[in-house]
Amino acid sequence: MLQKLIGGLLCSGILFAQTTANPQFSVIGDLVIDQLTESPQLSSSGVEIAIQGNVNPFARADVYLHKHNDESPLELEEAVLTIERGLPFGLALRAGKLRPELGKMNKTHAHLFPFIEAPSGMTKTLGQEFYSATGIEANWLLPLPWYSNLSIGFLDTGIGSHAHEEEDDHEEEDGHDHNNGEEHLEEEKQENAFSSRWSHFFDLNEVNHIEIGTSYYADHEKSFGGADFKFKWRPNKYRSFTIQGEWIQFELGDEHEGKKVHSNEILTSGYLMINYQFSKAWNVGVIGDYWQFDLADTHGKDPSIFVGFSPVEESVVLRIKLGQVLHPEDDHNNEEKQLKVSVQLIWSLGPHKPHRY
Amino acid sequence: MKKHIILLTFLSFCFGKVRVVTSTTDLADIVKTIGGDQVTVTSIARGNQDPHYVEVLPSYMFKVRKADLYFMVGMELDLWAQQIIDGSRNRKIKVIDCSVDINKMEVPTGQVDASMGDIHKFGNPHYWLDPENGKLIAQLIADKLANAAPKSSDLFQQNLDAFNMQIDRAILDWDKRFRKLQGKKLIYYHNSWPYFSDRFGLVAVEFLEPKPGITPSPSKLNQIIQLIETDTIQVVASESYFSERAPKFIASKTGVKTIKLAQSVGALNGADSYINLFETNLKILSEAFGIEYD
Repeated sequence: MLQKLIGGLLCSGILFAQTTANPQFSVIGDLVIDQLTESPQLSSSGVEIAIQGNVNPFARADVYLHKHNDESPLELEEAVLTIERGLPFGLALRAGKLRPELGKMNKTHAHLFPFIEAPSGMTKTLGQEFYSATGIEANWLLPLPWYSNLSIGFLDTGIGSHAHEEEDDHEEEDGHDHNNGEEHLEEEKQENAFSSRWSHFFDLNEVNHIEIGTSYYADHEKSFGGADFKFKWRPNKYRSFTIQGEWIQFELGDEHEGKKVHSNEILTSGYLMINYQFSKAWNVGVIGDYWQFDLADTHGKDPSIFVGFSPVEESVVLRIKLGQVLHPEDDHNNEEKQLKVSVQLIWSLGPHKPHRY
Repeated sequence: MKKHIILLTFLSFCFGKVRVVTSTTDLADIVKTIGGDQVTVTSIARGNQDPHYVEVLPSYMFKVRKADLYFMVGMELDLWAQQIIDGSRNRKIKVIDCSVDINKMEVPTGQVDASMGDIHKFGNPHYWLDPENGKLIAQLIADKLANAAPKSSDLFQQNLDAFNMQIDRAILDWDKRFRKLQGKKLIYYHNSWPYFSDRFGLVAVEFLEPKPGITPSPSKLNQIIQLIETDTIQVVASESYFSERAPKFIASKTGVKTIKLAQSVGALNGADSYINLFETNLKILSEAFGIEYD
């Protein structure tokens, strides 16, 4: 039903939008050098292709395709129709495959982070590529004397469903029963999810701004609540100072990321980031993140320092990460400390939008 | 009865005005001049801000939410404006591109790509820096305000006539007082000034940016230093939002005079209106070249 509704919306957007104007294409790629201090490993987080444009005066479409590596297929990351100006009462609608509003980070694509890797607490909670699903999301700009947006989403799959699919793929590769995987996917189609975020934005003065938000997510067996904030001081194009943090408490079901967990396990995760831009091209920052499974009594943290250099706007960005990684994984008594130095070179081809706050 | 009159007066004060948002302070100042007390106007970019790069804040969308009209610079200068307008979810707003009637300079021919830097395919967008273009902008603004509030169209026309007269008088005055600036050679940081230079007879010899939007490189600075020494350039001028580092480095090597010019209303002290923007810049330039003016 949900997919039919979304299909209908997408079709109506396209049918009323016969135009000769081409959409905008852009491509973003990267090169990552890991373990610079030991034996360097070259890799890439893949190539992202974006096709964006207005479908009519009221709606636009954004399609993001991602190819992770040579072997992986070209995957659809997002394909979303957004109606922002055609609806009454300050409403906006997003429909299609989308990243719903959940906290501050879920909607942000990785190349827009000031750091190389997403905080492990967030990937533990939202998945390695963050949470995206097919669904519909309504955004309501509330009639308050400040910017206040309430976002409510209804989606066809819950967090962790992609992990199931990956798990199934691995099983298939290993020669395990294929039918089992199909049944599993069949079950996932039934797992609708609900997402919401209520955010508020305040201008403290012309150059100081703060955003706060609360999020809630639920599917048939899991739910979480979260809070996020971002403070930014930006007096001019040469300097800025950002503090951003997010905290999520996730009540898990019987499994998480395809692994069995204690019944009613709670995953708590969060991060705090400070980023200082001290010239037009350079920025330096620190990020500390944390996650903990309460019943399993395991936890992890990945504090790191990052440096960014973008000589020509965001068309080429060089990032360096120095991090002390503590990986207790399943055995929390066997914490292994490791210094990790990574370098990432990001390039972008084509028009890229001005950044939203 | 008295309470009703006060309420009606209050309501007409709050709701009778045309609510306008503009991309830049220059457009806001012209809207204020033409609209008088029949408009409320807000600018998104600050006067001392680079209008090419404005971070899209939710609070900007909030400002546009109830607006009747949005005046943008156009020609790809304020590309960020569209995101703000869309994000405002304002169904009724009318968006006006103020560049439509402008005789555009430096329109590139052939294919435009990123190897040319931050080049604008519709031409140089800094057209408001010619006061004659200010009159074209004001005409467009008066027309659109009259469409939005037909009852006040006479007032808008009167204000437009007064503005045009003020500009015409000012141009005559500037041509007389600052005539010695004509033919003076200078180097600009960014290519924001072709309309201004053309109007007042200045000659832009070079730019510190190797290509539009690209930070000056050491080799470019060396080239500039040699140029200043061989061509006896006296002045390097930059927009108020640029770092002083590169101009000061050049000054330390050559003794050239470095100045900041107001690229928009509010960018520098004194440039507090569209007319005073030119008055301030012409005075700064005259002082830098050691020219006396009345």
